[in-house]
Amino acid sequence: MLQIIADGLIIGSVISLGAIGLSMTLSIVRFSNFSHGELLGWGAYLALTAATGLTSMNAGLAAPIGPFSFGWGLLAAGVVACGLTALLALALDTLLFKRLRKQGAITLVIASFGAALALRNLLLFWQGGVPQYYSQNLQIAIPLLPRSVWGGLRVTPDQLFVLTLTLVTVTGLHLFLRHSTLGRSMRATAINPGLARVTGIDPERVLRATWLIGGVLAAVAGVFAGITVQLRPTMGVELLLPLFAAVILGGIGSIWGAVLGGLIVGLAESASVSVVGAEYRAAAAFVVLIAILMVRPNGLFGEKR
Amino acid sequence: MNLALEIVDLQAGYEPGLLIVRGASLQIQKGEIFAILGPNGAGKSSLVKAVAGLVPIASGRNILDGRDITKTPAHQMVFNGLAFVPQTENVFVNLSVAENLELAASVMKANRRERVDPVYAMFPDLHRQRGLPAGQLSGGQRQMLAVARALIARPSLLILDEPSAGLSPKLVDQVFSKLREVRDSGVTVLLVEQNVKAALALADRAAVLVEGKERIVATSAALLADERIAALYLGRHTGRQPRKEPS
Repeated sequence: MLQIIADGLIIGSVISLGAIGLSMTLSIVRFSNFSHGELLGWGAYLALTAATGLTSMNAGLAAPIGPFSFGWGLLAAGVVACGLTALLALALDTLLFKRLRKQGAITLVIASFGAALALRNLLLFWQGGVPQYYSQNLQIAIPLLPRSVWGGLRVTPDQLFVLTLTLVTVTGLHLFLRHSTLGRSMRATAINPGLARVTGIDPERVLRATWLIGGVLAAVAGVFAGITVQLRPTMGVELLLPLFAAVILGGIGSIWGAVLGGLIVGLAESASVSVVGAEYRAAAAFVVLIAILMVRPNGLFGEKR
Repeated sequence: MNLALEIVDLQAGYEPGLLIVRGASLQIQKGEIFAILGPNGAGKSSLVKAVAGLVPIASGRNILDGRDITKTPAHQMVFNGLAFVPQTENVFVNLSVAENLELAASVMKANRRERVDPVYAMFPDLHRQRGLPAGQLSGGQRQMLAVARALIARPSLLILDEPSAGLSPKLVDQVFSKLREVRDSGVTVLLVEQNVKAALALADRAAVLVEGKERIVATSAALLADERIAALYLGRHTGRQPRKEPS
């Protein structure tokens, strides 16, 4: 039981971080960006490439840090990947979405499908279809609770790292949105873009910030998925539906809603693996989604629109 | 001339070739309250939105304090001294009262307390309710917050689009009384109103807009006194019935 919850929270961490960016795009840029999942995949592979480059220059960077499976090289590469993925997200907007913005949300959604296909196939062409790993080091799960206590609990240090950094990232984002001028401007634009303009908020600046932050969070989520599972060029599309489920479940535009939605989807997936089998994990997330939407049509933290 | 705003032969509309404002020209004096009146669909809201940069301008000019603001984007208007209060959805409902005001101050890159405290002094009710989400305020309080938010920018010209919409007569009196205070503090006020009687009681001067162009510009007293004008353009809003034309 406890193991299912822990596994669910770890899967949910990755989904939550990806869902926050997607939720921000939905509420501020005002369209469903189906290429957001691919940013997770690109973030993960950019980190792998940067880590390979860094460790080839300095082999010491590959040495694992303490109990973790990865070294300083991957952490530095993660930072590089965040920057590059943010730029990729911004480039997508500048080259594609910005030009189509006046055509309406449906055009943007269809364009995002095209962008997703292009990004996924470029990644497949660049990296090949064989799954890859950040580290070949095997990690032994640490027993935190014996089997006699609710089935026991074992987690790897990498999983604890992912959980901790997710909490730090989400808290940092919350403080940014709550207390910084840009963060408040983003919240204001999500609530009422017309009023935000007459208040003196530059809509283009807010949109740029949204893409950049969404890109950074997608890269972090992609790296976390790579650390806890593996890297596959199709990881973006595989995560896309859980991301949307988390956003809708939490309520569009709500950061904490996306986090909670991600964790619930993660828990549902984890429970379904134990109860009905891994092949039904995506379906289980959607059963939970439908059940919650029947009670709260605007999601857990969503406002009526 | 001591002009706060000069609108020169303005043509504007949401779609190219579909003009709503058709050659309007107005001169708003510094320190006055000026009302734009007229029948539904006359283009009153579109005119002030065009001045605020929210409706595309086809031709003409807007001069604010001697500066041409015709091509200034809406988000830069506050930095030029023009604050706009929309008719509806004029507060950020999910943000608290304090956050609404502090956001306006921080966008101006101004000291928050320096800007927000004087506004709280003018609107003590808002100070009492500063922690409340703006969406939970009553209609009148929400309108007060919208005006307060606009004043944070310390504008020379405050434009309001139908500030009395949806308010009870008592609340209209309260809001309009605050607008007098705003004018007395040195801010020029330009408002669009459907509530003609209340608007003429408040404004120093007014214009009657018909089909996107001003037909009459006069003092409020003159407009109220002229029965023919009241019947033709202001109808029953004045409280008087238009005279029947002889058959």
